[in-house]
Amino acid sequence: MNPPSDNLPLADVLRAANGLVAAGLIEDWALGGALAAIYYVEPFTTYDADIFFIPTDKSLTAGIPGIYAHLQAQGWQVEREHLLLHGFPVQFLAAHGLTEEAVREAERMDYEGVPAKIFRAEHIIAIAAGVGRAKDKARIEQIQQQADVDKTYLADVLQRHKLKLPTP
Amino acid sequence: MKNELRQKLAREPFAEKIRKVAQLLRLAKTFPRRAHGQPANRSGR
Repeated sequence: MNPPSDNLPLADVLRAANGLVAAGLIEDWALGGALAAIYYVEPFTTYDADIFFIPTDKSLTAGIPGIYAHLQAQGWQVEREHLLLHGFPVQFLAAHGLTEEAVREAERMDYEGVPAKIFRAEHIIAIAAGVGRAKDKARIEQIQQQADVDKTYLADVLQRHKLKLPTP
Repeated sequence: MKNELRQKLAREPFAEKIRKVAQLLRLAKTFPRRAHGQPANRSGR
C-alpha cells in the first residue's frame, strides 16, 4: 500500500478490489458512481469511490463482513457505511439487477498499472435514470454532451430494465 | 465555462482527471461553503 499523498489513493483502492477477487471473497467488481462518470466527463468534486461487486457469498449479507474483515486487516478503517483508505472513503456495494449487468459488461482499463473495470457510460446513464434525483438528471445530460454514448446499446439497456430517460 | 474547454477536460487521461478531483477536494476543504442562513459568527454579524 502506498503512503498517503496529495492524490486520491485510487490505485490502492482498485488493487484492493482485485485482492478481494484473489481471496475468493467476491466474484467480480467494477468502479461505478461519480468516479466512473468522471472517466467520461470533465472532473468534478466527489467525496468517495463506489465499488460495485458481485458477491461469491449469495447469502443476505453478500459477504460484506468478510470483505470488511479482509480490508481492516490491511489497515483500512471503518466509518459508518464507508471503508477508509488513507482517509478516502470507499463504499462497497453488492450489485444486483442493472448494477450486476453493469459490472459484468464493464469496460476494462488500466489505472496506473492496476487492471480494473469501470462502468460503461450507458450503464451510468441507465442507473442515473433509475434513481432520478436532480443530480442524476444533470449527470445524464453531462455524459450525453461530453461522452461517446452508444445510443443503440443504451436504448437496449433502458428497454430491458424498463427505464426511461428524463425529459429535458 | 465554454463547452470547448469542458470537452477538452473530459478528454484528458483518467489519471489526470483524478488528480484534478483531488485538487478540487483540497479546495473544498480549504474554502468550505457556509450553509444558507448560517450567520458569519455567533453574534450573527
